[in-house]
Amino acid sequence: MGQIEFHQVTKRFDNGQEGLKELTASFDTGSMTFLTGHSGAGKSTFLKLLLCLDRPTRGQILVNGVNVTQLSGRRLPYYRQHLGAVFQDHHLLANRSVFENVALPLRVVGLKPRDIARRVRAALTRVGLLSKEGLFPRYLSTGEQQRVGIARAVVTRPKILLADEPTGNLDPELSRDIMDLFRQFHQIGTTVVVASHDRDLIESMGMRIIELSQGSIVSDTPGAAASAVAGAPDTDGGDDGEPDHAR
Amino acid sequence: MRGKAARDPWPRQRAGLLALGRDHRRIVGETGHFVAERLGTSLLVWLLVGIALALPAGLFLLQQNLAAMTGAWEGRPGLSVYFELDAASGAPDALADALTRHGAVADVTVVSADEALAEFRRYTDLADALDMLDDNPLPASLRATLARGAGPEDLDALAALAEEAEGVAEVVVEKTWLERVTDITRVVSRLGAMLAALFGLGAVLITATSVRLAIEARLEELRVLKLVGATDAQIRRPFLYFGLVYGLGGGLVAAMLISIGILVIEGPLTDLLGSYGRELELAGFDFIFLGGLFLLAALLGVGGALVAARQRLGDLEIL
Repeated sequence: MGQIEFHQVTKRFDNGQEGLKELTASFDTGSMTFLTGHSGAGKSTFLKLLLCLDRPTRGQILVNGVNVTQLSGRRLPYYRQHLGAVFQDHHLLANRSVFENVALPLRVVGLKPRDIARRVRAALTRVGLLSKEGLFPRYLSTGEQQRVGIARAVVTRPKILLADEPTGNLDPELSRDIMDLFRQFHQIGTTVVVASHDRDLIESMGMRIIELSQGSIVSDTPGAAASAVAGAPDTDGGDDGEPDHAR
Repeated sequence: MRGKAARDPWPRQRAGLLALGRDHRRIVGETGHFVAERLGTSLLVWLLVGIALALPAGLFLLQQNLAAMTGAWEGRPGLSVYFELDAASGAPDALADALTRHGAVADVTVVSADEALAEFRRYTDLADALDMLDDNPLPASLRATLARGAGPEDLDALAALAEEAEGVAEVVVEKTWLERVTDITRVVSRLGAMLAALFGLGAVLITATSVRLAIEARLEELRVLKLVGATDAQIRRPFLYFGLVYGLGGGLVAAMLISIGILVIEGPLTDLLGSYGRELELAGFDFIFLGGLFLLAALLGVGGALVAARQRLGDLEIL
């Protein structure tokens, strides 16, 4: 569970601009993929369509074989409950503690308070912020806020994890940490798709990279470890040592 | 593929009653917090809704009391029949029987000439003057009272019946009084219904506007909630509670305004009624009235919230 297929997906906006043009791509369960390209290339449109925040003009988006572009408004929430999403602007609620921010998706699902506490703490432990659960987001650094956003995205244990420029505001070292975090979820079988314009960083990760330009795929490079198939753990060996040249 | 389960990988998960209860409890807590945080605004909303409700509710109370008072004043219409002095002694009873058989008559009281004289003696100081007369100068009479629900046309029919009867000197119909009362009642109730509709609409608009503001204040949170898969019902729920709180608070203010109003008019009204030899008995301001007021206030509040939620949440852009 966690397979994604785009079939000739076109998104034309009201102003006539095309966000995606006849885009076809597929993502296996448990794979990790980076989407890259200049701003306006279609990365965000891709993720928005996948989250059903918008509907494509033409084409199909199949998730686990179901065309999610046809989901009724009534069923959409239950689909979204199975996705995790992280954004550059992390969308944390300023008037709630870190714990409550991460707990939000679980409250929506209606878990028991005891289970919520257990799973929130597990998610916060994973992103290394358990000690800050009682703080409000404004007392955290940008990197920490981003990690809270990630904890909120994964606390429901989604099969698919999407991220739109998750390292946009971070310095290279923190960015690296965040990307490693995403790789950990990929390693436990989550399908991960990360949009990022930071070429140096994502090339160092050794994963599949799809480059978009003006809504079309211009290149699709498989991961360096040719074993980027479902769930296979990567050999981290080569990537870690070389921080790429700063721009 | 395993049939249906494979076709719908994201089945609707019905939250159990317990989970639903938890959600409601959490929302009630949050609503209280939100209202308390913006106490000034909330008080203003309560006052506005309260005023909007107090006017029609007060008018309703007034109408109730008017009806109760006219009822107690024996304002029920009827007709009085006066007989000739030399009419046959059986004539009044015969007419009384005929009238009683008519469905529109509630009761008939016959006062014979002798009884009239006795009553006259009892209530006046003119007994000595009467003694100087040879004959009884007072005629026999009867009074018929209309049954509840009988209209002016019944009165016409009864009057015709009485006029044709033997020995009848005069028929006095209290018709104008009846018509006036029905007209006034109709005007008051139509006015009340119109005011109630207008001010009810006002209350709905006030809560709708306030709930819209509450939605605007929490837009960021709603976007996140929608993103993580909250259903429309879940997103709407807190705001329905807002509407409920605004409505109930407005109902409370309205109840307070009405009781203040009663206190204010109580003195002058007692004096006015006193001049007619009556005591003030305000009816209708009871638990049923208050319960109805609060129920109506709550419904209007929730209705306003629904309007606002439909307007604002329907096309909520997530990001």
